[in-house]
Amino acid sequence: MSGLFRLEDPLAQTYDVIVVGSGATGGWAAKQMAEAGLKVALLEAGRAVSPKEFTEHMPSYKLKYRDHSPEIARTRPVQKQCYACMEYNYEWFVNDLENPYSTPQGKPFTWQRLRILGGRSLVWGRQSYRMSDNDLKAASRDGYGDDWPISYADLAPYYDLVEKYVGITGAAEGNEMLPDGQFLPPMKMSCGEILMRDRVKAKFGRTVTIGRAAVLTQNHNGRLGCHYCGPCERGCSTFSYFSSPFTTVKDAAASGNCTLITNAVASHVDMDNAANKARGVTYVDRLTRQVKEVRGKSVILCAQAMESTRILLNSSTREYPNGLANSSGALGHYLMDHVVGGGAYGKLPDMKTTASANEPQRPNGIYVPRFRNTPTSGKHSRFIRGYGFQGGAEMDFNFGAEGYGTTFKNAVKEGVYQISLGGFGESLARWDNYVEIDKDLKDAWGIPALRISMTHGDNEAALMEDAAATAAEMLEATGAKDIHLQANVEMPGMAIHELGTARMGTDPKKSVVNPFNQTHDVKNVFVMDGASFVSSACQNPTLSMMAITVRACANLIDRFRKNDV
Amino acid sequence: MKRRELLRAGAFAGAVVALRPPMGQAQGQIQNPAQGSELTPAQRGVDAANDLAAPGWKPLFFDEHQNETLIVLSDLIIPATDTPGAKEALVNRYIDLVLAAEKPEAQKAFLNSLSYLDGESMRRYKAAFRYLKREDQDDLLHTLAYAKAGSGWTGEASGPDVGHGHFESLKQRIAGAYYSSQIGEKELGWDGAFAHGPYKGCDHAEGNHK
Repeated sequence: MSGLFRLEDPLAQTYDVIVVGSGATGGWAAKQMAEAGLKVALLEAGRAVSPKEFTEHMPSYKLKYRDHSPEIARTRPVQKQCYACMEYNYEWFVNDLENPYSTPQGKPFTWQRLRILGGRSLVWGRQSYRMSDNDLKAASRDGYGDDWPISYADLAPYYDLVEKYVGITGAAEGNEMLPDGQFLPPMKMSCGEILMRDRVKAKFGRTVTIGRAAVLTQNHNGRLGCHYCGPCERGCSTFSYFSSPFTTVKDAAASGNCTLITNAVASHVDMDNAANKARGVTYVDRLTRQVKEVRGKSVILCAQAMESTRILLNSSTREYPNGLANSSGALGHYLMDHVVGGGAYGKLPDMKTTASANEPQRPNGIYVPRFRNTPTSGKHSRFIRGYGFQGGAEMDFNFGAEGYGTTFKNAVKEGVYQISLGGFGESLARWDNYVEIDKDLKDAWGIPALRISMTHGDNEAALMEDAAATAAEMLEATGAKDIHLQANVEMPGMAIHELGTARMGTDPKKSVVNPFNQTHDVKNVFVMDGASFVSSACQNPTLSMMAITVRACANLIDRFRKNDV
Repeated sequence: MKRRELLRAGAFAGAVVALRPPMGQAQGQIQNPAQGSELTPAQRGVDAANDLAAPGWKPLFFDEHQNETLIVLSDLIIPATDTPGAKEALVNRYIDLVLAAEKPEAQKAFLNSLSYLDGESMRRYKAAFRYLKREDQDDLLHTLAYAKAGSGWTGEASGPDVGHGHFESLKQRIAGAYYSSQIGEKELGWDGAFAHGPYKGCDHAEGNHK
């Protein structure tokens, strides 16, 4: 990758824009600004990534521990809690020994992250759903929290733009809670999923649709359609799932206007106090620990919600003693992460197909859009907001077969048709879920680390309890047997959908950024990642994050043209 | 959760020949972020598939009796039929490798289960499990292999069905080792290719799903 970028001393010039972070949102910010003709410095804390290190086609028996390495836990006790952190790719994830954070007693939080070009877009779950005004204006409907200052109509054109570029497979449903988008052909459903779709619709009127995912079902924008090998999180030799290094960041580089600076661990924003403007970003070279400053006319933070906020908190000045752009005091507050742990699984004994190790692996499941507290369902008595389900039904080998010997060996091959639904619930924005700087804790680059204080509340617990019951009733309606309910509330962070901490709003006393992601306090500092979310909705957020970034970039490009930065 | 399911499925399905040769870097090299390649062995193309079959193999964790017991037990749990079984797949060697790197609690739990088997064998037959006649080994396993009605395995070393619990934990280790081996992949029908798209999904007529 780096060969595509400009080679002169990257710190000798003043850039129009410094983008911190090269993941899903940072990649878009770099692409949009650079393609508009602006000079961009893209800072990435990790190293570059090469397709040569993709391992999606490597069978697990070639791995020393066959993908069950106990050694990962030594350096990545937190990261290994992530489904995608594997013996194949654990080096992509941060080393927990170098990247500490603290949590109060009794409030565990799992912070799963990558520091490498592309960030978590390399390993993300790819599920891509729009929010609707039922989400953006939820406060007006149920009285809890705050509405977003933007509406669906503001976002829709940017959803269109992002979807057309990224390539989202999906099926239009006309569902009031889940706006349709610009879809590539949908992936197919299995027999069990079609049964569920039809019987659930007939009995409950609920929609079961094929997952909407950032995976190509046909060649698109120079990338090949999916070949259904399965494990996207190990990389994709055909670039069929969306990851920023091979799409947005590549485009930014191709524009000739973007300088990529890898191994740049951003520390803080540097201020010109007299002008009340940012003048650049200080970073620590990841390998040499040299402290460097890159200068820019504007700063866009896309470092991941809590990392962007950490940078602002670490950028305190005399004028902003509690963190840059924090005159409201809201910076760090309203941390959210979807609640997970409620659902059900069972078996469909009537299905008589056979399992096969040669089956194509569909990197996608099914989705049940939110059906609680909708305009047509009316209000639920025990909770506000709602949840969606991800799930699937497929023939699998019956590794849980009982007995031993030839009986067991044959039973494994006969297989078992499994069906499951797992809920993702809205995480309410609460002031008392927050991050702050832990003054006693620094990362391996000497940068003060975060203390994360978050719990899921009663509403989240009620959502998961209901999700277990409704999942079970839908499996039962499908004809499933041996149904097991799960009504757990997993620890915050497990959904890997961290949102909030630099929320968007029109009132500078209550919010950190304005509706175009510009901080109220410092005109040329922007937070364009998930930190700006006002509420979490229950949909996987990356698509919305990207749409918000592109919208904010369009506004910033306009400001540059009007010389108003 | 679908994402987790996909991961699990991926552990057994998919797969093939590495697309590039190993890059010649020493395996097990200490990874200091400032000096190392910052790639996992898999990302460096290291192929460890044949390590366990190396001549002169010695256990890292088991003593000789434990190792021999595990070989006998694994051969009973997944025997050779028209396809190779657990013994040919060297599941004892893989389990030894993993246990050697695991935490003491996991090591202890495994040895406790193995010792339980020997203890029951000595109680009933006055000999350790691996010295029993095949039919006695089979009889003993049969008493442990099926959960007694009304009792459940809790992971605690107490309760009426503790024997079944020990059996299940040994069996899970053995099955996991077998089906993650190359022999095990082939047992599941794997033909050596990594991708078999397109995903066809259901093509049955309405209301005729099977």
